[in-house]
Amino acid sequence: MAIIEVENLVKTYKILQKQDGLIGYFKNLVRPKYKELTAVKGINFNIEEGELVGYIGENGAGKSTTIKMLTGLLTPTSGKIVVNGIVPYEKRIENNKSIGAVFGQKTQLWWDLPVIESFRLIKQMYKLPDGEYRKNLKKFTQILELEELLDKQVKNLSLGQKMRCEIAATFLHNPKIVYLDEPTIGLDVFVKENIRKFIKDINREKKTTVILTTHDLKDIEDVCNRIILLDQGEIIYDGDKQKFKDIYGKYVFAELVVSNKNGKLSDTITLNGCEIVEETEKSIKIKFNHEETTIMQILNTISNHCVVEDIHMREAELEDILKEIYKGAHKC
Amino acid sequence: MTKVLDNIRLYGSFLKTSLKEMLVYRLDCIVGMTSQMVTQAVEIIFIWIVFQNTENLAGWNFMQIMLLYGITLLSVGIADFCFDALYDIGPKYIREGDFDKILLRPVHPLLSIIGGSKEFTSLGYFLLGLIITIIMLVKLAIPITIFLILKIVFFSIVGALIIGGINTICSISSFWTYRSNEFIWSVYQIYTFAQYPIDIYNGFIKFLITVILPFAFVAYFPTMNYLGWDIYLIYLSPIVAIVLWIIAVKVWNLALNKYRSTGN
Ligand SMILES: Nc1ncnc2c1ncn2[C@@H]1O[C@H](COP(=O)(O)OP(=O)(O)O)[C@@H](O)[C@H]1O
Ligand SMILES: [Mg+2]
Repeated sequence: MAIIEVENLVKTYKILQKQDGLIGYFKNLVRPKYKELTAVKGINFNIEEGELVGYIGENGAGKSTTIKMLTGLLTPTSGKIVVNGIVPYEKRIENNKSIGAVFGQKTQLWWDLPVIESFRLIKQMYKLPDGEYRKNLKKFTQILELEELLDKQVKNLSLGQKMRCEIAATFLHNPKIVYLDEPTIGLDVFVKENIRKFIKDINREKKTTVILTTHDLKDIEDVCNRIILLDQGEIIYDGDKQKFKDIYGKYVFAELVVSNKNGKLSDTITLNGCEIVEETEKSIKIKFNHEETTIMQILNTISNHCVVEDIHMREAELEDILKEIYKGAHKC
Repeated sequence: MTKVLDNIRLYGSFLKTSLKEMLVYRLDCIVGMTSQMVTQAVEIIFIWIVFQNTENLAGWNFMQIMLLYGITLLSVGIADFCFDALYDIGPKYIREGDFDKILLRPVHPLLSIIGGSKEFTSLGYFLLGLIITIIMLVKLAIPITIFLILKIVFFSIVGALIIGGINTICSISSFWTYRSNEFIWSVYQIYTFAQYPIDIYNGFIKFLITVILPFAFVAYFPTMNYLGWDIYLIYLSPIVAIVLWIIAVKVWNLALNKYRSTGN
């Protein structure tokens, strides 16, 4: 049985319409007007134990709303959620025992206390046995490099240091499921890599199920094996990460370094299955579909109009693919 | 039952934690305590001036009123110390989004919040209350027996729980307004009515402080007992406290559910 089951999940926010002026103020009190906004529009998915799921989508797609419902912070408007056999918004405290969650840069650590004190309180709150606590602490300290931070007050830590401690605190009680809503926002590359490695290590060892939302698609590329793509409250892709790239990632990007170019190429030539993305005096950036054309064909045409001195090619990354999808989604 | 014990143990840990936090702000704490005692001194002078013109107030003389005053401060001191964090729910937790963190913990959010921070400066009230109570007991020649001490300790805590219950019920406003702290505070201030004999008030205020906001059970009825004037009403105080807390937790849960379905 899946550890997370989501069926026809809907969340509609009611937003109070402010009416202007003194009369408007009283109208608000007597008969408030609401506007409805459906942030999540009847989504379905199942997640198995131990999966690493990247939950992605543009700003306002409804990612945080979904995660708040999964954690029991919000009650759905309709639909069903079962997490680990429990309906989270009905038995929130029960559900809390087996989950961990990070929301952006908000910290669950006690601001004025040394980090280690917060860890001790968490240990007590979740009734974690001494042995487990010591084992986890030792391991986490090593992977996340917390040695020097444990005795410092949380308020004196930098953002990167705080997030490393935060991640440790989130996994400390051996949660079965961890929700990470933009945990890497604002962090430098080293801290990001450190945190990604940690998530992968713990997942391998404890089969912790992780749901991750992020704007840094390298996080997804590196950590996740499944992608759920949300667009305006609806799921438009759910499946394997590699397959996702195969289906949507037919594009190859190339940058040509050129000389002796006369005028704008994009005005003079047409290339089948290839698009000129950017063009300057010295370089041309192109994007082509490798099922429709090849780099040799393109070079043949282009070299009639200028001298090609160098070529850099790269495959489409997740980010390019998403850009394509969003462009398509917003046209219609 | 083990659940209750667990929660008490957890509360103890929270308490230790706040003590450590307080040590970080030692100086703030001492300044705060001193200024609290000074504000109270102003009120005491006010009562003293009133008694320059009259022998007694509804049958209470100056020393008896001061005893009531001292006993009230004991409960107020404990209550402010324990339940201060309720003021933070609106302006801090909900407004700044820290409330979600509290809801993700495996304990009731009220315990997390109330346990989460302590106002050590309120011990200034408690200390002043203790001094005034002892002096007045001696001056009034009330024998300080072990039984009396136990009674005062027990009913001071009960009184603090009554105040805490009323504050908790008022803290529900946090789910609708960020300025809930001001609301809790204004309702709380009605307790000052119960620092004087309730016979000086009209029927409405009597009803207000005995039934609607039962502040009279915090110190007024207990003091009547210590003075030997009314033996029995004091024993209603624990019942009032229990009923208040049952109501508080029930309505708090209802409000929380409402809040979780609207999402703001
Ligand atoms: N508490 C709320 N009240 C009203 N509307 C909200 C609330 N939270 C989010 N929304 C709206 O719901 C939509 C989805 O938001 P969100 O779930 O935060 O998206 P994401 O996390 O994918 O950026 C947005 O249009 C947002 O404005
Ligand atoms: Mg979000």
